[in-house]
Amino acid sequence: MQDLTGRRPVVTDTHPSLLDRTMEAAARATPEPLATTVRGLSDRMVAWIFIAPTILLLLAINIFPLIWTIRLSFTNYRANRPNEAVKDIGLSNYARILTDSDTWMAMQTTAHFVLWTIVLQTLIGFTLAYLIDRKFRGHAVWTTIILVPMMLSPAVVGNFWRFLYEPQIGLFAYIVSFFTGIPPTEILMLSNVTLAPWAIVIVDTWMWTPYVMLICLAGLRSIPDYIYEAAEVDRASNWRQFWSITLPMALPFIMLAVLFRGIENFKMFDMVNLLTGGGPGSTTEVASITLKREAFEKWRTGFSSAFAIILFVAVFGLANIYVKVLNRVKSR
Amino acid sequence: MADVRLKGVAKAFGDKQAVSGLDLAIADGEFVVLLGPTGAGKTTTLRLVAGLERPDTGSVHIAGRDVTRLEPSARDVAFVFQQYSLYPHLSVFDNLAFPLRSPARRMSEADIRRRVAEVARLVRIDHKLENRSTKLSGGEMQRVAIGRALVRKPSIFLMDEPLSSLDAKLRGELRLELKRIQRELGATVLYVTHDQIEAMTMADRIGILADGELVQIGTPRAIYTEPANLHVAARLGQPAINLLPRGLLPDADAPPGTATIGARTEHLAIDKAANGHADGVVDWIEHLGDQNHLHLIVGGRKLITLVDPDTPFGKGDKVTIHFRDPLFFDASGQRIGG
Repeated sequence: MQDLTGRRPVVTDTHPSLLDRTMEAAARATPEPLATTVRGLSDRMVAWIFIAPTILLLLAINIFPLIWTIRLSFTNYRANRPNEAVKDIGLSNYARILTDSDTWMAMQTTAHFVLWTIVLQTLIGFTLAYLIDRKFRGHAVWTTIILVPMMLSPAVVGNFWRFLYEPQIGLFAYIVSFFTGIPPTEILMLSNVTLAPWAIVIVDTWMWTPYVMLICLAGLRSIPDYIYEAAEVDRASNWRQFWSITLPMALPFIMLAVLFRGIENFKMFDMVNLLTGGGPGSTTEVASITLKREAFEKWRTGFSSAFAIILFVAVFGLANIYVKVLNRVKSR
Repeated sequence: MADVRLKGVAKAFGDKQAVSGLDLAIADGEFVVLLGPTGAGKTTTLRLVAGLERPDTGSVHIAGRDVTRLEPSARDVAFVFQQYSLYPHLSVFDNLAFPLRSPARRMSEADIRRRVAEVARLVRIDHKLENRSTKLSGGEMQRVAIGRALVRKPSIFLMDEPLSSLDAKLRGELRLELKRIQRELGATVLYVTHDQIEAMTMADRIGILADGELVQIGTPRAIYTEPANLHVAARLGQPAINLLPRGLLPDADAPPGTATIGARTEHLAIDKAANGHADGVVDWIEHLGDQNHLHLIVGGRKLITLVDPDTPFGKGDKVTIHFRDPLFFDASGQRIGG
């Protein structure tokens, strides 16, 4: 009874005429109930004509190269010798890659980069998001400042950090030596075998932590206040609120950030190429650097095609497994 | 359980005065319902008691202790929110056990198990203890939320429209259950709603809030039969009270100063017009099943009353109307006499 009288459908009561008039006008404006042919073309045909340019573009720049790469990966084709006879060599490119210790090294280097950048970026990114979410005075300004590195071009960032890492004039070496007392000329971030991988991890973290922070912040903002209020009344300490509310409810977002960063860093190229070019030696030679060398320095097109396919399948497979896990977490 | 007192409590959000000069005493074991429209300050009052808001002036006392400056966690209150405020990634059991696992209590796991089972039975959710809280229906979620408040045996239960997001049938059921549970536990409850039926059926006393002020507080009966003013009178009764200017109908000995006469169904005697004299005409009969709403037109005004389903009246009938001890209000809206 309460419902019948308490909630009157006001809108439909007071404006039926307006709605009716609009509908009528719309009906009058559209001539026939949609002609099924336009100049001899059926609706379906027209639809295809509209989307055809996009589909053609997609085929030309995405699908065709992919198929072509797959085909080349079974050959000994070399792009710098277009006139040489191309021989079909079956799976031997794949066999060589999977047994070659150099490519395995590159894969391992990549895995290390992915692991460390994700660990650091997630930890720092989530912490920053958590702090920003406290909504202190000026938090909007800080958010903007923190986001700046992400907005720069990787090429700019790479060159910029090359200068920062410079042992003679670089600010980075200077600051480190200021705190540690080690002379700056000994801090060879880009040419020391142990430091070079970390140099890249630091730059990538500097650049992409804001991105992780942004996604984590979205997750934190999605937790409604009343859940915290309920916990407050239920006498949960801040520590307990963090572990039993904040973290589990933000987890799907954190995982999403990890997925995006993981895929990105699996194919990390620009930063490494600019900073170390894979060196010193092959200490920072990630898979994409190896790939570039094989394809455009040694011109082993068939071989590098096979390598590209292996990388693609690996990322695709891992990402799919990960998304399944992510969905399970989300549906909880 | 304990008594709660609010003394001269005021709270403003920016320019808006949410609650002003509120005095309210809730006795131990009493069920007090705050009734009022949206924006009347009901929820703010509740949050002030819980400590989720701090009053600008005035003080809050729970069990004789001034808690005005204390954190919610130090006040020993339980809060049921309007939204299903369950911890979404926890099971029903863990949701119910959550308040018991506070380090402030140091309860053994076996005791927690026993207590949760007890409360789960009370709110009839014991068959779904292992379910994820997000996999429940709306009614089940709200029962868990109520259960989570119950496990703790707090000083007072604060409930913010806990039934408003449920459908009508479920609301009716839970209304009865809540009242049953409250009686069984002898719990002190401060309950906020805009639903007069919830207020009338559950409350020991109803407080009517308007624009942040407590207009009247009393038993449901008193609020209904002796409303302090037009606002209170219009809050209760189904259909809503008919407010007629004096002189529209032959007014039965209205006291001096009367400007408005308030007439509910029981204040009106309606008969078919005989010997030519008629006060109004039947405009429409609204069939509700168990009873009907009779819509009358009297001197250009509409008047609605309840009639039996087998009413002899039909559309267009001329009728005579007499007041039977109605409510009188003066020009400022205050009730006269009583």
